Amino acid sequence: MPGKKNTMKTMDDIVKQNQVMLCLTCGKCSAVCPITRWEKRIYTSPRLLVEKAVEGNQTAVFNDLLFWSCLSCRQCTELCPSQVDFCGFIKGMRSLARAEDLVGECSHGNAIHTWSKIMTQPDLRQNRLDWLGDDQKVSEQSDTIYFIGCLPYYDVLFQDTDVEGLNIARSAITIMNRAGIVPHVMKNERCCGHDQLWEGDVDTFRELARLNLESFISTGAKRIVTTCPECAFTLKYDYPRYAEEFDMEILHISQLIAELIDQDRIGFKEPEKHYAVTYQDPCRLGRYMGLYDEPRRVLKKSGYDLLEMEKNKTAALCCGTSCWTSCGQVNKHIQTERLMQAGNTGAGMLVTACIKCQIHFRCAQKDRSLKDDIGINIRDLTTLVAESLER
Amino acid sequence: METAGVEGISYDSRVIPIRLTCMGRISIGIILKAFEQGAMGVLMLGCPKDECQYDTGMHRAEEVMGKTKKILGLLGYSEDRIGLDCLEAGKGKAFADRVGEFMTRLTAGHPASRETTKATFARSG
Repeated sequence: MPGKKNTMKTMDDIVKQNQVMLCLTCGKCSAVCPITRWEKRIYTSPRLLVEKAVEGNQTAVFNDLLFWSCLSCRQCTELCPSQVDFCGFIKGMRSLARAEDLVGECSHGNAIHTWSKIMTQPDLRQNRLDWLGDDQKVSEQSDTIYFIGCLPYYDVLFQDTDVEGLNIARSAITIMNRAGIVPHVMKNERCCGHDQLWEGDVDTFRELARLNLESFISTGAKRIVTTCPECAFTLKYDYPRYAEEFDMEILHISQLIAELIDQDRIGFKEPEKHYAVTYQDPCRLGRYMGLYDEPRRVLKKSGYDLLEMEKNKTAALCCGTSCWTSCGQVNKHIQTERLMQAGNTGAGMLVTACIKCQIHFRCAQKDRSLKDDIGINIRDLTTLVAESLER
Repeated sequence: METAGVEGISYDSRVIPIRLTCMGRISIGIILKAFEQGAMGVLMLGCPKDECQYDTGMHRAEEVMGKTKKILGLLGYSEDRIGLDCLEAGKGKAFADRVGEFMTRLTAGHPASRETTKATFARSG
């Protein structure tokens, strides 16, 4: 398959491409950047990093604390009066840094990045579908692919945090089956490559994308459903941008469920009691894909009352870590801050639509000294919906 | 390993030793990295459980081993390709035997393979 060429850009190109030179130094980005707020070692902000880039000081950009710790949550771009795409700039610059052998520090001993790299082996025969039970109907002839992403792997790596992991995948198939959709779950699906791309490892990303695209096209399916917002965003926007255009509809599960509700293809049982929950907007689903209403509509339809956090939708605070990189005290502060905001709503449960948000929040909850403040129950949207389905 | 060297005991030349200060330092990432770079198997040789200077070294290694086996299983690798064993300090012959046994187990199914086998072990004592 002919892929798009990997042309190495210079810092100037990346500055121009992301409109970085239009920065007015107004500092709105610094006011919202969660890293700027919690990084106490030295003052660092998107504005100052941009300034270094415009001055042409590449080394200073690479050495900035924000360079590898940027969460790419896009809160800065959301407010920027000049539409500087700071996260796009960071993504581009990280690929330049990699050419100089500079890499971010993986907080999980590189396990996740390494298994993704192993997945670039073309003759790899993964054994990743053992979790499928008799209750989940799948078919290789389906026109809908369910892309499960790294869920089976996270289920093992994060088993100590009681993360929902494969229950999310089982629930997604249950929901689809209930609506008469028998999805195709691919035997040899690879990691979508999101973390590699945002970490600047464009070569690995392209290889993963090429292998995934070959599999997608060979199935003859028309649409792909994912339960991970990062997979959805990457397949929808970054595969055509960095690898190959392909003619398939990409949906996040919340979009599919909203569609199924509108078409009256799934029904919910009448709840005994309406639970009050609050919702965490995953960055890729919210600010990147603009999907704020679908997950909320789905939650309400499933019989939950929604209480909004102080910061929600475009202003939602990130779960605190991105690409499994540079997680430390700063990130724990952000997670604690968000969990406290969730607790302050008075809701009994925090619902999110992203496995990574759940992993990060559950990890922050390991801090026993803050148990009463941040101990809110955390659940995934997909599993909640599956539990509320009509029998 | 040093004792094996001093005593002139040879072991398979395809083995690449990687030293760790304690078996508790092993992580899933390190083991996966060996496989990513083409290793056929990873053998971890640490100190006997009750002789750990840091108390929990081998217990941690067992936890890591359990998770890594599952992840390797998902990636389609056989469980036999990873092993955890313990060895007292200064036993050159026993070291060569353990490595030899592991190599025989690995190469049993792949006689023609020329892949490298990596042996990761913690220095005892």
